[in-house]
Amino acid sequence: MAGKTIIKAVLRREFLLSVRNASASLNGVWFFVLVCGLFAIGIGPDKEQLGGLAPGLIWVTALLAVMLSVDALFRHDYADGSLEQLLLAAHSLYFLVLARLMAQALLIAVPLALVSPLLALMLGMKAAGLPVLILSLLLGVPTLVMIGAIGAALTVGFERGGLLLALLVLPLYVPVLIFAAAAVVSAADGYTYAGQLMILAAQFVLAVALSPLAVVAGLRLNYYH
Amino acid sequence: MHPQRKQRLQIIVFVLIAVAIAAGLLLYALRENINLFYPPADIAAGKVAVGQQIRAGGMVREGSVERSEQNLQVRFVVTDYAADLVVNYDGILPDMFAENAGVVVAGKLTENGEFEASEVLAKHDENYMPPEVAEALEQSGGSSEAEY
Amino acid sequence: MRLSRVYVSIITIRHRGLGKATYNLLMWSWFHKFGSPRWFYDFSTRVLPWLAVLCAAFLLVGVVWALAIAPSDYKQGNSFRIFYIHVPTAVISLVGYYVMAIAGAVSLIWRMKLADIVMKEAAPIGALLTFVALFSGAVWGKPTWGTWWVWDARVTSMLILFFLYVGVIALHKAFDNPEQSGKACAVLSLVGTVNIPIIYKSVDWWYSLHQPATIKFTEESTIHPDMFWPFLVITTGFYLLYAVALIANTRLGILQREYRTQWVRSRLQE
Repeated sequence: MAGKTIIKAVLRREFLLSVRNASASLNGVWFFVLVCGLFAIGIGPDKEQLGGLAPGLIWVTALLAVMLSVDALFRHDYADGSLEQLLLAAHSLYFLVLARLMAQALLIAVPLALVSPLLALMLGMKAAGLPVLILSLLLGVPTLVMIGAIGAALTVGFERGGLLLALLVLPLYVPVLIFAAAAVVSAADGYTYAGQLMILAAQFVLAVALSPLAVVAGLRLNYYH
Repeated sequence: MHPQRKQRLQIIVFVLIAVAIAAGLLLYALRENINLFYPPADIAAGKVAVGQQIRAGGMVREGSVERSEQNLQVRFVVTDYAADLVVNYDGILPDMFAENAGVVVAGKLTENGEFEASEVLAKHDENYMPPEVAEALEQSGGSSEAEY
Repeated sequence: MRLSRVYVSIITIRHRGLGKATYNLLMWSWFHKFGSPRWFYDFSTRVLPWLAVLCAAFLLVGVVWALAIAPSDYKQGNSFRIFYIHVPTAVISLVGYYVMAIAGAVSLIWRMKLADIVMKEAAPIGALLTFVALFSGAVWGKPTWGTWWVWDARVTSMLILFFLYVGVIALHKAFDNPEQSGKACAVLSLVGTVNIPIIYKSVDWWYSLHQPATIKFTEESTIHPDMFWPFLVITTGFYLLYAVALIANTRLGILQREYRTQWVRSRLQE
């Protein structure tokens, strides 16, 4: 099937671009660390207080980092015309977009998950919550990327889409935030957390299947004249 | 098959499979009890560790509310009619707080088995009726609360 | 598109000499008539005054009944009367999102201009209703819960609903081209429609985690008949108000969108 080679090429391109442009990909991670630091500075150095707030703080910050990374998802391709080419090709557009989103989800989620233990320690989160924090980021961030991509597709034509993107996308992030933060809190306090992670996984599966439909529709309307 | 139609079919099959997987995951998740809320019976059964931040709730036992003369300290008993929980609270109670009415307390269990509340919330019970009706119900002993 | 193919085949049927009635039925002439802004404008000119009068009557009766005649609550006293504003606005703001999303879907699938205008005009009305529901909830919360704002499941869901509306309005304003903005808003409101049940369910769970709703006294909320009838009247009044506002704003939207056309000029000269 010819579609497979195209999908492979898309995946290859995504990973190559992110490796060649590593400093840009790292910006999201720096943002993540910096904002968590700002929270500590704003709230005060009391480790006990920070430790209680840590799961929520880390997750809200991760959510903002994802939103800001996703903003540029289609912008370069839109500017240099390769997006138009992609849409004209129309060959299994759904699966092409899906491949791209999966690649981006991986590229955004893994670095955030890797630095999260560091932040958890800095904020004094209970160590029992650490593995679940990493797991929740690996399960939840891809969902956020998929939902964010819908907003990015709708706003790709605007020079400055950032604030608008936030308004469109952040309300839709609520379910992921609720279950991810709750999973980490439960784990840190020694309660069961499998249920919350399962619901995160369910949201991820739904986002994988449905978001490419909206992304394709969103990208298409930018070429309507 | 027409390639475009074939592709559309692939998408539909893919979406259906995803929905099925999501439904399976949700069903699994629903079997887990993921609430941090405990009725007094669970606390009496020792399911909660001392010092752990939890929420408990039930009815305020009639005649159990003791207010301090000097300060805002209040002491009352929350019951689920299976077990009792003594609650201590230092603060202003909400207007809807009343004996024989629902209440939710947040705080932690202390060593002596009492509950140190940091927050008390009155639970409004979604029954709306005129005062005369409530009185009549009370007299007949058929108050909605008594049926708890 | 499959639809356009149906279209073409119907046109060929006509050329083969089928009866005009069959043709009209197949051609969905009613559908197209209804979708025409001009037809809607003329139709609503006739209907709107009646609807407005009906709405005013229901609201007047409802308000007087709810505030003056209906009994106060046995526990909450007179503050219970906020219920008569809070609940209808909250319900209609949610219904309004679906009205907007369905209009968006219709405009996306059948490229119907009227549906597009309805969708865009539904957003600010819905946002306003959501705001009224939130505000009246806060005012009601003070005497009943002892605080202006409670992160209650329904309050939180309403807050998110409000921002879903704000998103649609902001996206609409961002585009210059009405066709593009229509499609973008339609896609966004459809995404919101899929998400609303998920958001409501998760907020419910989040609330029961933090503020247990486990103590339930009755399975359903019960309300005494003396309170239910004024509630029904005032809710009908609010639904009518929503319809009147939507129709009136849609008329304005039609005039703005079609101001270059001959028929708009002739209507405005009358």
